[in-house]
Amino acid sequence: MGISLNKGGNLSLTKTDPTLKNIIIGLGWDARPTDGADFDLDASAFMVKEDGKVRSDSDFIFYNQTKSTCGSVEHTGDNRTGAGDGDDESLIVILDKVPADIQRVVFTVTIHDAESRKQNFGQVSNAFIRVVNKDSGNEVARFDLSEDASIETAMVFGEIYKHGGEWKFKAVGQGYSGGLAALARQYGINI
Amino acid sequence: MNILKGQRVALTSLFQNQPQADCFQIGLCVSGNKDVVDFACFGLDSQQKLSDDAYMTFFNQPKTPCGAIELSTPAGDTLGFACQLAKLPTKIDKLVFTAAIDGATSMRQIQNGHLRFLLAGQEVARFAFSGADFQDEKAVMLGELYRKDGTWRFSAVGQGFNGGMAALVQHFGGEVAEDVTAPVTTKLSLEKKLASAPKLIDLAKKATVSLEKYQLQETVARVGLVLDASGSMMNQYRTGKVQEVINRLLPLAVHFDDDAALDVWAFSSNTIALPPATLNNYADFIDSTEGGWRNWGMMSINNEPKVIKQVIELYQKTLLPVLVIFISDGGVSRNKEIKDLLTSAACLPIFWQFVGIGGRNYGVLEQLDTMAGRVVDNCGFFALDDLNSVSEQELYDRLLNEFPLWLKAAKQKHII
Repeated sequence: MGISLNKGGNLSLTKTDPTLKNIIIGLGWDARPTDGADFDLDASAFMVKEDGKVRSDSDFIFYNQTKSTCGSVEHTGDNRTGAGDGDDESLIVILDKVPADIQRVVFTVTIHDAESRKQNFGQVSNAFIRVVNKDSGNEVARFDLSEDASIETAMVFGEIYKHGGEWKFKAVGQGYSGGLAALARQYGINI
Repeated sequence: MNILKGQRVALTSLFQNQPQADCFQIGLCVSGNKDVVDFACFGLDSQQKLSDDAYMTFFNQPKTPCGAIELSTPAGDTLGFACQLAKLPTKIDKLVFTAAIDGATSMRQIQNGHLRFLLAGQEVARFAFSGADFQDEKAVMLGELYRKDGTWRFSAVGQGFNGGMAALVQHFGGEVAEDVTAPVTTKLSLEKKLASAPKLIDLAKKATVSLEKYQLQETVARVGLVLDASGSMMNQYRTGKVQEVINRLLPLAVHFDDDAALDVWAFSSNTIALPPATLNNYADFIDSTEGGWRNWGMMSINNEPKVIKQVIELYQKTLLPVLVIFISDGGVSRNKEIKDLLTSAACLPIFWQFVGIGGRNYGVLEQLDTMAGRVVDNCGFFALDDLNSVSEQELYDRLLNEFPLWLKAAKQKHII
């Protein structure tokens, strides 16, 4: 298991695993044991510039747009219940392919239909994000956020960013209300 | 502070580091629903399972063995718990406070409810919910206190199961009877409670039948026994028949009583309050307690008012209902005094079940059922030729048939 980060913590991916070229961002949570609507968590990625905004809508990778035009970020598919062990949703990032004007890739998780289902992250158990070296299969970093999220319906889980020629990972754990739409607007998507 | 569904907070932030925070109360309430709602606190291990039944705290098991969680209902709430988390063994990782509807309705039909925290009787935080927060759940985990990195945190869960208490117990790893559609009672069976007293096991089933018949399975009460020890009773003591009364009544005390003890008095012209009969000392109670019955200074004439006063004194401040079983072999003469005492005691949470045995002239005892001038009918009487002339089953039936009627009436009058 990789280095476990707390909210706000960061580490140099390049230093921690010099062989790192392609990464998997894995997102997991426990399926709901109680009765009621499933917790359907959706992972998304925003590729943003220095100013924190996307270049265009195609820099927003989510279940309806699963691959960036440059091919550097790919969403591997939607899981609607959280059933099964390990990652429930994942995104693949090919670091070398990330365009030069993209400074950060932000990974977010939102609860689908949270408002009408009256759900929030506090009700979801054992949610985590992890960074895995796709080629070796080794986990590089991990962030368990069950205690950092509660009444929010959208979360910035973490981000990878360029820093002095290195790639770093930061465990953000910042929650927002308003779901995916609100998050998307924040990063400059026209919704 | 208002806590929202799904919110997770550190306990210290709820209490803002107030000094009394090591001992707080949780108050639970659900209103606007026609069915009964049962509340409980489950103490789970690190696997989130109820590995020790003793850590389910509710009506019939009002305290954990460590004393960390104990029934204690704040004014205005339906049920509550006093919590001293420092007393909890480390094996208990999480405390889940639950509500289960016993009936056809579901949580969406409730009007509103809350789980609140109180310090020294003052509310400091509240998780309020309403029927709109739920769907068809019949049993819900309202909130949970859990250990995290050496501190306690609270999560307002507000999730549950349509399958009611059975599904909830199953979720906690408990075993549920195969027919999950049948109402499942989560209460420890009387047989299990009597496991340490093999002689009484036989009685457990018979008592359980009567308890179920009168719907007293979930009732918590203190149980007292008053024994006539006037001279005319000598033969009953000598031949072990009074000991038999102890044996037969102890299962009721174990079922009803929060500390599984039967409070015992003996009276003649004087009154002696004996140490409570328990599963540890019952077997030879009459012959050995306080030097045995011959050394109690009894066996003279009978003075009922004196013992009645003592019983009232012990129970007048209790919050639980009390069932007092009063054995007399008759020769009752202080009628006016007895009547006055029991009339004024009608506002107390005490029900008096008088049992006449083998005697005559029960005086006022025979008229107690119809005695006027009381807020509720707080007395019952029946006579037996001989203590052993009825079967155990019938004895339990007769002992318990008026108690539920009183419980209902006393509840209506807010006596209990």
